[in-house]
Amino acid sequence: MNYPVWDVAFGAGLLIAIVAITHVFVSHFAVGGGLFLVLTEQKARRANDAALLAWLKAHTKFFVLVTVVFGAISGVGIWFTIGLISPTATSNLIHTYVWGWAIEWVFFFIEITAALLYLYGWDKLDACLHQWYGWIYFIAAYLSLVIINGIITFMLTSGAWTKNHQFWSGFFNPTYFPSLAFRTAISLALAGIYALITASVQKDAALKARIVRWSALWTVPALAVLPLLGRWYIHKIPADVWASARGPMPTGTEYAMLAVVLLIVAFVLALLTLVRPARMHLAFSLLVALMAFGAMGSFEFVREAIRKPFVISNYLYANSFYSTQIPGDGGFSVDEVNAAGVLPSAKWVNERDLTATNQVAVGHEIFRVECESCHTVNAYRGLRHYIELRQWDQNKINAMLGGLAFMHNNVMPPFAGTDAERGALAAYLNSIEPVSAEAAAAATDGETVFDQNCSMCHRVNASDSLFKNLATDPAAAADSLKDLTTLFPLMPDLKLTDRQRAALVEWINKQRSAKEFSSTAQGGN
Amino acid sequence: MMQTNLIPSLDPNPLPAPYWLFKLLLIVTFFLHIIAMNFMLGGGVLALVAKWRAKNPASGNRMFFDLARKLPSLLPATITLGIAPLLFVQVLYGQFFYTSSILMAWPWFLVLVMLTVAYYGFYYVSFRAGEKPGKAGGVMLCSVVLVTLIGFFFSNNITLSQTPSRWAAKYFANPSGWNLNLSEPTLFPRYLHFFTAAIAVGGIFVVFMALANWKRDKEYAGQLLQFGGKTFMYATMAQFVVGVIFLVSLPRDLRMLFMGDNPLATTLLLVGITGAMAAIFLMSGALRTGNIRVAAVYVPAILAVVILCMSVMRDILRDAYLRPYFRPEQFAVTTQWAVLPLFLALFVGGVILWLVMMRRYGLLGGKKGNEPPKAQMASTD
Repeated sequence: MNYPVWDVAFGAGLLIAIVAITHVFVSHFAVGGGLFLVLTEQKARRANDAALLAWLKAHTKFFVLVTVVFGAISGVGIWFTIGLISPTATSNLIHTYVWGWAIEWVFFFIEITAALLYLYGWDKLDACLHQWYGWIYFIAAYLSLVIINGIITFMLTSGAWTKNHQFWSGFFNPTYFPSLAFRTAISLALAGIYALITASVQKDAALKARIVRWSALWTVPALAVLPLLGRWYIHKIPADVWASARGPMPTGTEYAMLAVVLLIVAFVLALLTLVRPARMHLAFSLLVALMAFGAMGSFEFVREAIRKPFVISNYLYANSFYSTQIPGDGGFSVDEVNAAGVLPSAKWVNERDLTATNQVAVGHEIFRVECESCHTVNAYRGLRHYIELRQWDQNKINAMLGGLAFMHNNVMPPFAGTDAERGALAAYLNSIEPVSAEAAAAATDGETVFDQNCSMCHRVNASDSLFKNLATDPAAAADSLKDLTTLFPLMPDLKLTDRQRAALVEWINKQRSAKEFSSTAQGGN
Repeated sequence: MMQTNLIPSLDPNPLPAPYWLFKLLLIVTFFLHIIAMNFMLGGGVLALVAKWRAKNPASGNRMFFDLARKLPSLLPATITLGIAPLLFVQVLYGQFFYTSSILMAWPWFLVLVMLTVAYYGFYYVSFRAGEKPGKAGGVMLCSVVLVTLIGFFFSNNITLSQTPSRWAAKYFANPSGWNLNLSEPTLFPRYLHFFTAAIAVGGIFVVFMALANWKRDKEYAGQLLQFGGKTFMYATMAQFVVGVIFLVSLPRDLRMLFMGDNPLATTLLLVGITGAMAAIFLMSGALRTGNIRVAAVYVPAILAVVILCMSVMRDILRDAYLRPYFRPEQFAVTTQWAVLPLFLALFVGGVILWLVMMRRYGLLGGKKGNEPPKAQMASTD
C-alpha cells in the first residue's frame, strides 16, 4: 500500500526465512564461540597443552571466517531483506529502536575489531593481553545479543508499548528474558557443536578426544536445559498469541514438535561423540551440526508462525496494514481502508478505477498489496494450489475472503477494502485457478464438503462451535446452514447446495455419535 | 501524473531525537565509511596494479601481498562503518531509500552475495601471502570486480532514491525488482567520481604503508611512497575532469547550488578544489624530496578536510534533489531521553575502548611488540 511490493516469484517469506535462519545459526555461534575461545585458551594455557593451543589457533581462524564474514554479512542481510519485504515494519522499528540498533552497532564495532585482533594476536601478543581481547570480544558479542533480543521479542510480544510507546516498555517485553536465556543456551551449545567440526579433522587422536570431551561439556548441558527454557518461553507467550499455533493449521505446533525431535536427536548424537571421541568423523560432526541447524530453524519458524497475523504484535499486520487506527498511520489501518477502499488509499497501484472490465487487473494489484507479503501464486504458500484443493469458485472465494481473519485460528489479517474490491480480488484468484460453479458444487460426500468449506475455521471436535451448536435434527440443521451469516454475522456467506448441506449434516451427526468423539479429537483438513 | 502521491507516508512513530543529531551522525559515519571503503577498494585495485605493472616482479608481488593482507580487515571496517550511515539514512530518508531499494531489489539483495564472495576471496589471497602467488591474482581480480560492482549498485540505489519521478515507470513495468537506474544521466559520472576518489585515497593508504616500513626497509618504503604518491596525484588530477563532468551532468538548478546559489555549497566546493590542488602540490614536493612526513601526515590531513567537504556537499545535493518531496519539518520529534544518553555514553566509551585496543596491539602509534607484526588491522601507522 504505502510502499511498492517486491514481487518475489518463489516467495518473499521464504527468502527472509533462508537469510534469517542461516544467519542465526552463525550469529549464535559468534556469541557462544567467543566464550569457548577464551575459556579453552585459559584451560590450555593452565594445562600447558601446546597441542590444544595449536588447534585453538586454527579454530580461531575458522571462527573468524564463519562469524566475521558470513555472520556479519548475513546480519546486514536480514536488515536488507526486511527493508525490501516489510518496509513499513522496518520503518516503524527503526524509528522506535534506532538507539537500540545504534548501541548494538557500537558493540558490533568492538566485537569485530576484537575478533580480528584476537585472531592476528595469536602470534604477536602475550598470553594475558591475548585473552583480554578474547574477553572483550565475547562481552561485546553477548551485549549485541542482549540488545537485538529486545527488538526481536518486541515484535512477538509488544507488551505495554502499544499503549505507552516507551522504548524500554517494548524492549523488556514479556518474552525478553526467556528468549535471552533460550538464545544464550543455544549459543553455548553451538560453540561446542562447531568445535566438533574442526576437532574432527585433527590427526592427533588424543588431542581429538580431549577436544570432543571438552565440546560435550558445552553442548550436552546446554541442549539439556533448552526444553526447560523453551517451556518458560512458551509460558510467557500470551495465550491468544500461542493459540494461532493450534487448531486447523497448527504450523507453530508442528514446527515446535520438529524442533523438539531434532533437539533430542542432536542431544543423543552429542552424547554419542563421547563413546569413541578419538575416532569422531567429520561427517558425524556435520550431522550433529545439521540437526542443530534444523532444530534452530524450526524454533525460528515457530516464533514467526505464532506471531501471525502480525509482524509487530497488536500493531502491524504481516501485510503492512495497521491493526487499529492510530494518528499518523497514513490511512493504512484496516478500518480506514475498509471505509475508503484500497484503490484510493494505496500509493502503489496502477489501476485507480474499478470497472466491469478490469476486475482481474485490479484484483491482481490488490493481491500484490494485501497478500503477496506471505503468499505467491504458484510457489511458497501458493494460492493456486489451495484453490484447486478446495475447489472454490469465484463466489466461494469472495465469501471466504470475508472471513479471512477467522481462518486457521486467526493467522491471517482480515481483508481490507470495499466489497467491490473484494470481488475483484476474487475474480483475480479465480483467474489463476478457474473453478466453475458446477465444480465447486460437485462434492457430495459430507467429509469432502466439510474439508472444502468448513475446515479452515472449524475443527472436528466436540467443543467446536459447529459440532456443539448445530441442531441434531437433520432437516433443521440443513435448514440452518442455508444462510450462514444469520448463524454468526462474521461467517463467510457460503451457499451450499441442498444435497451438500444434507450430506454435511449427516457426516457431522455421524462424527458426533462416534464413541471416541471428544474435545481432544484432532482437527480436519 | 500522480508521482508525488507515490511517495510513501512516514510511519506514526516520531523521530527519537532531533533531526540535526541524526544528520550529524549520518554525515560523520558516512565520512568514516567512505574513507574505509576507499582504502579497501583503492587498496585492492592498487594491489593488482602493483602486481601486474611492476618493473620488478619480486617487489610487485611483495606490494601485492602487503596490500592483500590488509583487505580482510579493511572490508569489515568498510561494512561496519557502513552500517551506521545505513541506519541513519533509514531514520531520515526511509520513504525514499526503501522504495528505491525495492525497485532494484534483486541487485540490492545480490550485494550481500557478492560481498560474501569478495570477502572470502580477499581472505584466500591473504592466506597465500608468502607463498607463490598462484591463483591469488585472479582471485583478487574477481573480488575487486565484485566490490566495484557493489559500489555501482549503491550509486544506482542512491540516485534512484533521489529521483522519485522515475519510480512509477520502473515499478509498473517491472515489479519483480530487476531495475537499475541506468538512464539517470548523473549515474556514471557520480559513480566514476567515487571510484576515482577510491583510487586516489587508496594511493594514500599505500603512502601509510610506506610510513610503516620507513625505518625497517627504506628502499621498499621509498617504492611504496612513489607508487602511492603518484597514484594519488594522477587520480586526483583525473578527478578534476571527472568532477567537472559530474557537476555538468547535474540538473541546472542543482548545479548552480555549487556555483553561487547556495553559499555553503559553493564554499565547500571551493575549499575542496583548493584542498585537492594543495594536496597534489604538497605530494609532488614530497615525492621529489622523499619527505614521508609531508606525504603521510600533511597530505592526508588536507585530504580528510576535502573528503569531509565532499560528504557535506553530497548531503546538500541529496536534500536539493528531494526538496519537492521532503522537509525536515515533516518529522514529529520525541527525544527518547530514556535511552539516548546511554547510546552517547556507550559510543564515547566504545571509541575509547577501541583506541586502547588498537594501541595495546601496537597499532595507531601504540608501542609495538619485539617483532614486526605479521598482519595488521587497517591502520594509519
